[in-house]
Amino acid sequence: MGVLDGRVACVTGGTRGIGLAIAKAFLDEGAKVVINGRDPAKAAASIAALNAGDNVHFIAGDVKQRGDCEAIVNGTVEHFGRIDILVANAGGGSNHAPVAQLTDESMQDALVWNFWHTFWTMRCALNHMIPQGWGRIMSVSSVEGKVGKPGIATYVASKHAINGLTKSAAREVGTLGITVNALCPGAIETDVMMAEGPGAAESMGLTYQGLLDMFAQESAIKRLNEAEDVAMVAVLLASDAGAGITGSMISIDGGTSPY
Amino acid sequence: MQGDTNMGNKLEGKVACITGGTRSIGRAMAEAFLAEGASVVVNGRDPVKGQQCLDEMGAGDRADFFAGDASKQEAVEGLIDFTIERYGKLDICCLNSGGVAMTAPVAQMTDEEWKLEIDWNLNHVFWGMRRALNHMIPRESGRIIVTSSVEGKLGKPGIPGYATTKHAVNGLVKSAAMEVGTLGITVNAVLPGIIETDIVRATGPDSAIAMGLEGYDQLIDLFAQESAIKRPNKVEEVAAVAVMLASDAARNMTGCLFPVDGGTMPY
Repeated sequence: MGVLDGRVACVTGGTRGIGLAIAKAFLDEGAKVVINGRDPAKAAASIAALNAGDNVHFIAGDVKQRGDCEAIVNGTVEHFGRIDILVANAGGGSNHAPVAQLTDESMQDALVWNFWHTFWTMRCALNHMIPQGWGRIMSVSSVEGKVGKPGIATYVASKHAINGLTKSAAREVGTLGITVNALCPGAIETDVMMAEGPGAAESMGLTYQGLLDMFAQESAIKRLNEAEDVAMVAVLLASDAGAGITGSMISIDGGTSPY
Repeated sequence: MQGDTNMGNKLEGKVACITGGTRSIGRAMAEAFLAEGASVVVNGRDPVKGQQCLDEMGAGDRADFFAGDASKQEAVEGLIDFTIERYGKLDICCLNSGGVAMTAPVAQMTDEEWKLEIDWNLNHVFWGMRRALNHMIPRESGRIIVTSSVEGKLGKPGIPGYATTKHAVNGLVKSAAMEVGTLGITVNAVLPGIIETDIVRATGPDSAIAMGLEGYDQLIDLFAQESAIKRPNKVEEVAAVAVMLASDAARNMTGCLFPVDGGTMPY
């Protein structure tokens, strides 16, 4: 018996990090879950670790492509018969630089990866959820969806944009049994953070360890968050008890942005 | 798909106290905590209602009642001391009591009414938090959960004391969270939208008139229409958040102003 018995969820970027933790938490609460990623080989290891049999299904796709985003959502419906919960989780940044030196390509990459992917999957999911009169959409934003930092404007701008999209969509479907919320985690040492963090740190004039220390020191808990923190909140919002929470930007950041 | 009636173990062995715990939001928290394995002391003014609450919850030795007016320092501190004496410790302190003590525009507010609102909604939280922290800090473990309100971020005409004190408790929560963040103690606020609780039914008609509305129904409708879900919230929705914040798994969530308001205040 779980609070998500019978539900079907789709998690983009679900093979590692925060997405994998959310997928695991949803499976533990009785949901069926589609996880998406680019690399089927990496996914095989994640699916083996989840050990959830037919309740988990992998759909390969690059969330920077609209067609792939729609195929991930529609593929969830084809495989499990419906989609109740969408977690637009994939995201990151690359080629960080201060705004004065920032390239169009870097900004476009972050906007497509973080914002457009959220929009494409949200739009597609809403068109399934509105007729069924039930749905939960969560975007994985960031503490940087509320505050800004020098040197990572691509990430900050695209996460702020996600928060705006989330607020508007929540207002549109509030009476239709569908909630739309943003999860705003603090720094978590995920694979993406380990891959992209050094470049981001350099753009901010820091070492990678200095970057992690800075995030920790800004918080009340003086340590980084963990993927399981985000998964815990995702379960609450996805459950029936989450019906009264929408359009909210939930801080999961150890007290860094207490609003 | 309904998890509300599940018995869980997220709070097994934990001890909680709840001001204003015999009815409405506080009662829903008490029942949710009990269902997850905690022991709970509920507070209220009326011993008869308190006994009735215990009878209805049917939790035996895991529930107790402490009579006292949450707008009085000795009652709030007494609740915390009683809980520690009764169950040996305090893990979860829910400072939940509160309401609209008076309805008047600022221009007509009396000092006496203003002080009553401050004592009930703000000082009660301060007194309880201070007492609880002095127990929790040496133990390096604890959860403090304050019932604030959507009016902790917004304002409405005619209820300035309520909006002011709810804003103030949010500031208190943020500061305290920063103070004890490395000590295994979290301090969070939940911010419900309008809920048709007993206290809202009792004070709502006066609030409505103070806001320039026709009556109670118009008050409920005003709040509902401001939300995205176009309905009042439910006590169970607040209780589910409280359980999560109280659990061990929420050790990294603190200083959070957690909205449960159907999208009224999306920030």
